[in-house]
Formats: sequence, structure tokens, C-alpha cells
Amino acid sequence: MARIKKKGTTGNAKNYITRTQAVKKLQISLPDFRKLCIWKGIYPREPRNKRKVTKSITASTTFYYTKDIQYLLHEPLLQKFRDQKTLEKKISKALGRGDVTDAARWERGAARPEKTGKPRYTLQHVVRERYPTFIDALRDLDDCLSMLFLFANLPSTSAVPAKMIARCERLTLEFQHYLIVSHSLRKSFLSIKGIYYQANIQGEDILWLVPYKFNQRIVGDVDFRIMGTFVEFYMTLLGFVNYRLFTSIGLKYPPKFDQLKDEQGAELGAFLLEGVNIATDGDVKAITNEAPEHGVDPKVQAEVNKIVQQLKEDDTNGDAAPKEAESDEEGVEATDAIDKFEPVAPGGDVLPQPEQSSSDPAELFSNFTVYLSRETPRQPLEFILRAFGCKRIGWDSVLGEGSFTTDESDPSITHQIVDRPVIQAVTSTEGDGEDNQTAQKLAQNQRFPGRIYVQPQWVWDCVNDEELKSPELYAPGAALPPHLSPFVRKTQGQYDPTLPLEAQETEAEAIDADLAEAEDGDEDDEDVENDMDVDEDDEEEEAGEDFGGFDEEEQEEASDDDDEEATRQRQRELEAELAGASVKSKGVDPKTKAKLEQKKALEKKAREEAEDLERAKGMLSKKKRKLFEQMQYTNNKKSAEDLKLRSKRRKLEKEKAAAKGKTQ
Amino acid sequence: MGSKLLEKKRKVRVEELESEDELAEGAFDGVLSQSDDDEFDNVNSDEENENDEHEDASEDEDDDDALLSDDIPSDVDHDDVMSKLVKGTEDVEITEPGVDPKRNDDDDDGRNYRVEKDANGNERYVYDEIDPVYDSDDSDAQEPANTIGNIPLSFYDSYPHIGYDINGKKIMRPAAGDALQSLLDSIEVPKGWTGLTDINTGNPLNLSEEEMELVRRVQQGLITDDLHDPYPETVEYFTSIEEKMPLSSAPEPKRRFLPSKNEAKQVMKLVRAIREGRILPYKPPEEREKEDEEKDDAHFDLWQNEEPALANPMHIPAPKLAPPGYDLSYNPPEEYLPTQEERDEWEKLDPEERPKEYLPQKYNALRRVPAYDHTVKERFERSMDLYLAPRIRKNRLNIDPNSLLPKLPSPSELRPFPTVAQTIFRGHEGRVRSVAIDPMGISVASGGDDGTVRVWELLTGRQVWSAKLSSDEPVNAVRWRPVKDSFILSAAAGEDIFLMVPSHASAAPALDKASRDILAAGFGYATNGSQPTLPVGKEPPAKWARPGTKLEDEGVLVRITVRKTVKVISWHRRGDHFATVSPSGQRSSVAIHTLSKHLTQIPFRKLSGLAQTAAFHPLRPLFFVATQRTIRCYDLQKLELVKVVQPGAKWISSFDIHPGGDNLIVGSYDKRLLWHDLDLSNRPYKTMRFHGEAIRTVRFHKSLPLFADASDDGSLQIFHGKVPNDQLENPTIVPVKVLKGHKVMSKLGVLDLDWHPKEPWCVSAGADGTIRLWM
Repeated sequence: MARIKKKGTTGNAKNYITRTQAVKKLQISLPDFRKLCIWKGIYPREPRNKRKVTKSITASTTFYYTKDIQYLLHEPLLQKFRDQKTLEKKISKALGRGDVTDAARWERGAARPEKTGKPRYTLQHVVRERYPTFIDALRDLDDCLSMLFLFANLPSTSAVPAKMIARCERLTLEFQHYLIVSHSLRKSFLSIKGIYYQANIQGEDILWLVPYKFNQRIVGDVDFRIMGTFVEFYMTLLGFVNYRLFTSIGLKYPPKFDQLKDEQGAELGAFLLEGVNIATDGDVKAITNEAPEHGVDPKVQAEVNKIVQQLKEDDTNGDAAPKEAESDEEGVEATDAIDKFEPVAPGGDVLPQPEQSSSDPAELFSNFTVYLSRETPRQPLEFILRAFGCKRIGWDSVLGEGSFTTDESDPSITHQIVDRPVIQAVTSTEGDGEDNQTAQKLAQNQRFPGRIYVQPQWVWDCVNDEELKSPELYAPGAALPPHLSPFVRKTQGQYDPTLPLEAQETEAEAIDADLAEAEDGDEDDEDVENDMDVDEDDEEEEAGEDFGGFDEEEQEEASDDDDEEATRQRQRELEAELAGASVKSKGVDPKTKAKLEQKKALEKKAREEAEDLERAKGMLSKKKRKLFEQMQYTNNKKSAEDLKLRSKRRKLEKEKAAAKGKTQ
Repeated sequence: MGSKLLEKKRKVRVEELESEDELAEGAFDGVLSQSDDDEFDNVNSDEENENDEHEDASEDEDDDDALLSDDIPSDVDHDDVMSKLVKGTEDVEITEPGVDPKRNDDDDDGRNYRVEKDANGNERYVYDEIDPVYDSDDSDAQEPANTIGNIPLSFYDSYPHIGYDINGKKIMRPAAGDALQSLLDSIEVPKGWTGLTDINTGNPLNLSEEEMELVRRVQQGLITDDLHDPYPETVEYFTSIEEKMPLSSAPEPKRRFLPSKNEAKQVMKLVRAIREGRILPYKPPEEREKEDEEKDDAHFDLWQNEEPALANPMHIPAPKLAPPGYDLSYNPPEEYLPTQEERDEWEKLDPEERPKEYLPQKYNALRRVPAYDHTVKERFERSMDLYLAPRIRKNRLNIDPNSLLPKLPSPSELRPFPTVAQTIFRGHEGRVRSVAIDPMGISVASGGDDGTVRVWELLTGRQVWSAKLSSDEPVNAVRWRPVKDSFILSAAAGEDIFLMVPSHASAAPALDKASRDILAAGFGYATNGSQPTLPVGKEPPAKWARPGTKLEDEGVLVRITVRKTVKVISWHRRGDHFATVSPSGQRSSVAIHTLSKHLTQIPFRKLSGLAQTAAFHPLRPLFFVATQRTIRCYDLQKLELVKVVQPGAKWISSFDIHPGGDNLIVGSYDKRLLWHDLDLSNRPYKTMRFHGEAIRTVRFHKSLPLFADASDDGSLQIFHGKVPNDQLENPTIVPVKVLKGHKVMSKLGVLDLDWHPKEPWCVSAGADGTIRLWM
């Protein structure tokens, strides 16, 4: 017989380790352990069977893989943590003695005057370990960007040092510069939480959230030490990612940073991008500042154009190398177009064609000179406009340094983005800028002729739809069309606000709607009849039950109701006969009747289906039945939500139609 | 001369101190004490040679003589040791007395040769054999050993000799002592006695004290040499010796005490430079910080030589946050905005229970959008999730739920089965507990809480007969005798079982007569006194009696009183026996009554569990009894337990046997309906859960492939259950219809049901006091 194995020496008991055990094994404090886990990307695991894993009686909640902890054991950072701990001990001892100078000496690191007392460490090796390839790093950039953009907008506190914020801001601005130059921003969305951006870098979709520029309210208990640990790692990561991105498009990293301009609020404009290749004279290219104040240096412009052209060529060469190069221009043109796959020989299946992007994102706003009014959010607008090709953006001087022009009346301005309410007196003159004689009165809503005034949403909608939207819809003061998320993937059967209601509602719903409409009409005609009202109520009740899905009991009730309804109907007819009145007084026109019948048929069908379903369900095994019910539950929940949306929309549309009718 | 030799001998002997007296004893001298022999050899080796020649010259014939001559010590000087030495050659040498003194003289002179006369009388120098003494490696110089090789000495047992020496001379067997000697030997064990025999000589092998000591040491693993000291005392040569005098007596030079002027100069130079600020001892903190920052900012291509590593299969990347939907827009389509109720509901919920942490909002301009309160918190929560949330891979089933459902044939293909309530029989007060259709399919009998048994016309619902059996007990069971030649109804109310002939106008008088006869026959049997006599003082299991004139007038002819309340009546197909079950009666819970003999028997002395119901097999002589958990099947002929069916239900309410006899349906109070194939297994073939409440009754149709169950949820379910003729095929079970109509009264719905014997109709008894006919 084999030897009796001791419990807890093999299998899962060995594979998992509780947090306390892990901390003990690593011989560090819990905060240090947390830091290490955050940096190294070690996360707890959920064992299949917790009781098999723990040896203790009390249930532990957090388990790690033993191998993960073993791997942490070799981390060079561990030594740094220990150094830090000893230093802290020394300082606290000195303070305990009351020897402040000694403590200060330790803190300064008087023993090693060339260094600070604190052990220095970098997280480069951790970044490289966690992301063995660059693509891996890009894949994980979502959280990094969201976090750094948030921190770039935070006020500095003791927990969040100003230096960290400044560094976050720089890194994020550099990243934005890359997006602008490489035109890799794809979509953006104005939400109530902030602005979502989506970029596509080397085939990876990266989505991040930038909060609106407000002082962030910090509600609830937020531990900034944890966030700080994350930020520390993310800063290192984004630094290296930026380096790689910049160098991949032939730019020098870090770009030149103009402290003075930054202090004046130039933001993006505070950076000067330099090419790596052209190390000759005039190697400084203000790529984002392609609108230098007034006199555009033609030489610089030419250089910049050259770089941009080169970039494009690189891109296109990478895309379609085997394409025959006829002439330079044509070659570029040809590669821009997407190849069409047409069946040459008959008989092949027709595949969906690659989607043609209607316009190059670099070209969307390239011909415009945009002026941002004082009340618009400058940073997101500047970024998004530049990322989609706009080169000349001006804004009011209160919005900061770095604009193309601060003069609102600059004649080269083609578009102005405004977000202020229209004063009533001006609405009549809206559209034609010629009657701005009464300058004093119009100063608030002054219009310059030959210029398109739009609200900020226009920019986002243009970007998301990759086409220039008609500016009339977005005119100042106009009711804006709904701003839709470009990230929603459309699935069959789900509610889609862009489609008309008729295209998505079910048959039953349509009939219900028609009936309700007809009844409304009836109500308008003869709202005196009481019978009618009762009837209607019943109808609606039934409809409501239908909305609730195919719940068995309700279904039964409905069927009962149906029977009783029929008897009541008969009763009513009899009564009417007795009274000598015609039944027709109920005023059911043939169309409605047909609809009613149709509805009845539908209901009957639904009931039969439900019965069938119930029969089939009973024959399932318990496990399968549970699974089936679960799936049905989620499906029903989804469809109920959609149903609710559709009914709301129907109501709204009706109201709108009614309002229109009234105004007419 | 002789004394000299003896002296020498003595001298040699001195070395082996203890052997002295032993030698003196003589007879048991150790033949193998090599040193002695060697000595001896050396002493008279020349004689030996000579003797060899001499021997060679003489013939082998005189072997025996030589032996004899050996035995006679000629030399007086030799002690008995000498005489006893049996080494053939030596002895021969010794027998030449004339030579020895001379040789010894020579030895004394220091010459190593002797002058002898050869055969011709010439002088001949005979050199001594070189004594190899100690460090000789001449192994041949050993004494002449027996040369017979590795064969047992016993081969020579029959010869006077025991082998041959190196010269081919016989080595004679040493003289064996006479009987007395051997006796003495056996008594007195001499010193050094080993009990072994020396191969070479045939003598007993004795060892000297010294040799014994040697052997002991070797055996114990000690150092063989007695004098060797393995642990001598150490002698320290240098360490302990203190050097008192210096190596050199020169005085210490002065320069060793004076600081270096040159160094002082160098130091002063540095000091001056520091004072003047030309050298900074360390960098100012600001500069240092700046440098640190630069170091932090030092970027390079971290992924310069990247190589795609295979992802660790155990690593689960953090899931990305879901992208924002339409409702998160600052200006969403209006249908996404919550209504006032939804808003209230959302606000009422605990923040952690809300399905979404935000409410969709609509702002008509971007400038109106306020700051989002939870940005930092959400990000923090995400961070917490990233490092603290355990990650599990979950496989999401992305299948159509309908694909799980079995494909059932449409009910319309399985017609006929009852679908609607055709007739409602009203009349009972309180619940109707039991219902049964008579074997002809004309009338329905029912019994209920009001203590009456009623008979109805099936199609019209008209009550044709009724009898009040009890004023306080409900009628629990009503069953017809399943034979068409009679019209007998059995009913159980309390502890009484009544047998009656519900004669009414429509019934044929002949049939009525026959029925009454059947019932009356038993009385005759009883009066004949052939009832098995019971021991005195023991109560009979049941009393058969007439119920009294009032009831008899109505047609109730027999009353059987058992000990406990009867709940179930079940008839045998022939109609002579019926079983009753009174679940509360301990060991008399199941009783089998014989109608023709008015006899009641209790088949089970002991039953494991409470009996719930019982039934006869429709074809074979088998009897089924259901307890709470199991159904037991007994063979009535062999009187043995055949099978135990375990449906797995917690509490069986009823069961029914398929008319084919091989299948069984079981209804249970835990809402399950179970189909058993009796041939297949004692576990259910199919388990069906269609009811929300307990199942009261299950029943097969007698001829059609139908069965039904009745439940406390007020519904009946009709199943199509076809048992194929082929044994290998599985029965097909398809639910076809749910019949609803009975009202649920105080948690009781349908209490009993029965099928029409031929038509696809069934009747059900409800707790609401109605009986319904479904067709």
C-alpha cells in the first residue's frame, strides 16, 4: 500500500497561498506587498474549492498562486523595499531619541551626499517583463491612459504631489501629440462622465476617458496611495511607449518643452517636435503649431510638409508595397483607395467588401480655420481638430497661449465654434451676418459674415461619422440632434435609436400601437361613452401584461381574462339588444376590428407557443432546465429593456406628432 | 654439541614464551608453528639436501622402513619434540647423527660452508643455505608442504601417507595415539586446541597463545601489533615556544612618527579649494533632484529586441471596461431618459445595488454638462479591481436557449386525448375525495367529505343514486368492482368499508340480482363456519357484517370494519379480492379481503415504512405496496419479495401500473411524476416536474396510450405515454395537455381522477366540491 499522504502537501493546497502567507514569505509589509503586486501585475486567484486550499479553519478570502509569489521572491525591488524600511527605522529611531538633526541627516542621506537617503529604483524592468512586446503594452494602455489623464487634471495635494501631476500632464500631452501627428485618433464621444477617445495604434484599439476640465470632487474613501502606485507604474509605461511611438514616426523623444509657454497655458503648444532624421539647420519643427502666429515661416512649413509627406509614404508603403508605382501622386492616390474584390470567375460566393472609409481622417478639417469661442472647452476641441487635420485653430486669449489667432474678426476664419445661448433679438437675424450694425446690442452674439457658426457637438459628430455634417443642424441655439455613442456594436434584434421605429418593432407591438392610436381617435370623437372607457382600460391592461414577457401565470390570467372578456362582450351585446340600441354604437370600425382579430390571433399563437414551451421544458433534466431558465431570464431582461425603449419612443413620437398637429 | 643445539633450540623457544611447557609436553606440538620449523629447517638444511640425494638413491620400496626409522629417535640429544616432528624430510635429516655437530661447529666458526667427503672421498664444500631470515621473499623456502593440492585429505584415508612433499616423498600419516591417548585428549583439552586437522600434516591443528592473540586481534579489527600505539602524545615544536629576543635590534626610525609634509600639502590644497568654493563636497540638493529627474526621464527603446513570448496560459489579462453606450451620452436620444418613476426607484436603491451607477441625463448644450461626481471613485474602484479582484475565466454559453429543448411531437398528432371540461357534476358538499367510473363506462361514483357516496350518469351529470355512509367520517375511497357481470361499488368511510349495489332505474335488473348474489354468497360462507378460527382473545383483522336495514334498503349490503381509517381500495382484476390500505394502521395497514369468503387477511406482519397505497398487477399474480419512499412488489404465489422500486421521491402519493404490466408511474408529494420501466431498473426512467404543487393521483388509461396526473395546483396533466411492443425501444412520453378548471380550496386542488375504460375521457374530483368530466 502506498504511504498515506499528509493533507495539504500536494495539489491545490500547494498551488495556492493566502495573502498573509505570501506577505510572510516575502518578509515585507502589507503596503509594500500591495505595491509589488500592482507593479508586477500579480492578482489574486479564485480556487475552485476554497476549503481544499486552506489549512486554517477561518476562511481566507484572498489567494495567490504560489508560483506568482515565488516569482516575486526574485524581484530586485524587494531589496529596495527593505532598504527603505531600514532607512525609515533609522529615522524613526533618531526621532525617538529626539535627535532631529540626525534624523534629517539620515533623510538627506548624509552618509552618501551624492545621493538621497531614499533608495532609488526604476520600474523599467517591470514594464519589460509585463509587456514582452510593444503590442502587449499597447493592448493594456486603456487603464493607463484613463488614469494618467485623470491625474493630469487633479489638483495637487499632499497625497498627489504637484510633480506627479506635472509629469502626468506632460506624458499625456506628448501622447496626444503623437496621435495628432500620426492621425491615429478614430472616434470620440461626449458622455456625462467625460470625453471618451478611441485611437487605433498599430492595429490595437485603445479607448480612454478624459474627464471634463473641472475640479474633481473626491467622494467616498479613495486611497490615493494605491492610485499613486498605479500612476507611478503607468508613468513609466507611458514614457517608454511614447518614446517608441515618437521614434517610430521619426520624431525625437522627449520633445522640446517650453516651460514659459506652458505656464501661460499653451498646453499642446508648449511642445516642439523635432525630427530625428534631419539633424541639419532648422531642425525644430512645430508640428502641432502649424499655425505659428502670423508669419508662417515658409521654410519650416516646407520641412514640416516634407515630414508629413514622408510619414504618409511610409504608411502607404507599409500598406501596399506590391502596388505598382506609376507616378508619385497617383501611387499615393491608389494606395489610399481600398481594393475591391470582384469575382472574376463566376460561381464564387460573394463576400462582404472591405469597408471604405469615406474620408481620410487627416483630411477632414484640413481646409478649415477654426475659431473657438471663449465658452467652449478648448483642450478637447484643439486636440480633436488637430488630430483630424485642422492646422489653424484660433481662440480667445483667455483660453491660453498657443492659438493661431486671438482675433475673433480674423477674416481667414471659416468656422467658429460657439456654445452660448442665443439672445432672442438676434435669432431673427441669425444666418445672415449683414445686419450687425447695432453693434452694441449684438456684441454678445456678434456674427461675422462668411463664417459657419456651429456648436461643439458638430465636431464630434463629424469625426464619428467621418463626414462633415450639415452645420445647420448644429447652429447656435438649435436643438441638437442626439449625440450617439460610436462604440456601440449593433447586434441583430437590439434596439437601435438610429433606425425608424417601424423597422424594429414586433408585429404584436405594431398592432397594439395601431389599436391604441385608433382608440385615441375614438376617444377624441366620442369620449362620453363609459362602456368604451372600461373596454379600453381592459385592452390596455392586457397589452401591459403582454409587455411583461411570456410569464406563464400572466399568460394564464390573460387567457382567463380573454374568456371572461368574451362573455362580457356577449353580455354587453345582450344588454344592448335589450336596451334596443345597436351594438354598433360601440363604434368599432372595420379596420380596428380586423386589427383586433389579428391581435387575438397573435395572442392565441403566443399562448400556444408558451404552452409548447412549458411542455418541452418539463422534459428537460434539472440541470438543463436551470440553464435554459437562466438564459431565458437574461434574454427576457434584454428584450424587456428594448421593449421599454421602443414604447417610450413611440410615446415621444406621438407627442411630437400631436405637438406638430397643434402648431399647424 | 648436542647441548649446544639444544641451547639454540632453547633460545628459539624463548621467543615463544608460553609454548615452552607445551613443547615440553611434546605430543601436541603445533605442527604449523612456522617459526619453529623455519628455524629448524635452516639449521639442518644441508642434511636435508644430502638426505634428499640419499633418498633419491635409495628406492621407494623402503618407504615403510623409513617411516619406521623415523619413529625411532636415534639422537639422544634431541628432545622428544624432535622425535615427534613428523616432517618427513626433517626427520630424515635428523636421523643422520654424524653430521649435525660438525655443522654446528661450522656455524660457530662463522663459515657458511662445510667440508664434506663426497662419494669418492674427495673433499666437497657444502654451503649453508642462505637464511632469508626476515625479509626474504622466497616463498619456496617454506617447509616442505603437502603437494596434493586442493583435494580432500580423506582421499588418503586408506593409505599410510597423507600426500607427497615437494620432492615427491611420501608424507606419512602421523602416528595416531592409541585409544587411551585419544580418550585423554578428549578429556583434557590442551592449550591451543582448535579441533581442526592440519591439511599438510594430518596432525591436529593447535595454535599457540600468541597466535590465538593474533587471531583475536584480527577478528576484533585491532592493530595486530601489540606494541604499536595509535595515539601517541603530540609534541608541539614551534607554537608554544616564545621568542624572547627581537630579530633586529635596530631602533625605530623617526620618520615613522612624523606626519608627511607632502600629504599635509596636498590636504591643505584641497582644504583651500573647498574654502574658496572651487570644490563642492557634494551637489546642492536642487541640482541633485534635477539630475534624478533627468535620470527618470531617460527613455530608450525598451522593446528594442522584443521577442513575442507565448502567453502564460495561467495569466488572465484584466478585462477591459465596457465602452460607453447610448445612455451615457450628454445628449442621448430621449427614449433613454428615465421617467420620474424610474428616477425615484433608482434613487431609492442603495448605491451599491443600483444596476447602473448613473442616470442618463440630457443637456441641451455642452457648456451645461457638469463635472461627473464619481470620476475619481470609479477610477479608484477600477484600480482596486485590477489588483485585488480574483480573475476567473468564465465560458459564456452563446447558444440559442431553444436548442436545449427536446423536439416533441405536436399534440395534435397524438390525439385523441381529453381537452375540455364537458360536464361538471355538482352536488357534493365539501371536497370530493374519490371518483371512479364503472367498468361499463356508464356511471360515475364519487365520495366526499359529506360522507355520501353518489352515483352519477356519466354523460349528463345527473345524480342517480346516493347513500350517506357516515355522518362524521368522509368517504375516502370509492372503487367499482372491475368485472362487468356485476355492479358492485366499494367505498371506504373511516374504518368501515362498504360494499353496495347502487341500483337505480337505468341499471338492468338482472345485473342487480347477480350483484346482490355475489355479495350475499359470502354470508353463506361465513355461516358455514369455515372461517379460519382465530386464537381466543385475539381480535380478528376485520368484521364483516350487514350495515343495518336503513342502509341495506338503499343498496349498501356489506360493512367491513377494520382497525384503522381506510384510505385506499384496490381491486384485483377478477373481482374476488380487494386490498385496502390504512396508512395509520401500523402492521395491519394493508389488508386483503376476499369477497366470496368474507375473509380478511393481513399479508404483512411488518412493513418498512408507512404503507401509502397498494395495487394488484393487472396480469400476473403480483402485489405492489408503496411505502413513503419505495414500492415493493410481492409474488402472491411464491409469497416472496420480487422487486423493490426506488423512485427517489420523498413521499409517494400514488402509483399506477401500466395495463401492459411492465411500466409504472409514480406521483409524489414533492411535485414529481416518475415513470419506471420495471424491466430496466428500479430507478426512474423519466422524471417530470410540471406541477407547482404536490401530485395526488396518477392513473393510466386502460386501453389507450394515455396517462394523467392530478395535482394540488388545481390542474390535471394528460400525457401521451406509448409503450412499444418491442422490448428494446424506449417508451415515448409526451405531455399533451394541461386541464385547468378546478379551483384550489385551502391548498387542495384535484384529489382524484379516473379514466373511462374505453373512451379518452377522464373524470376528476376536486377539492372545490365538483367532479368534472373531461373529453
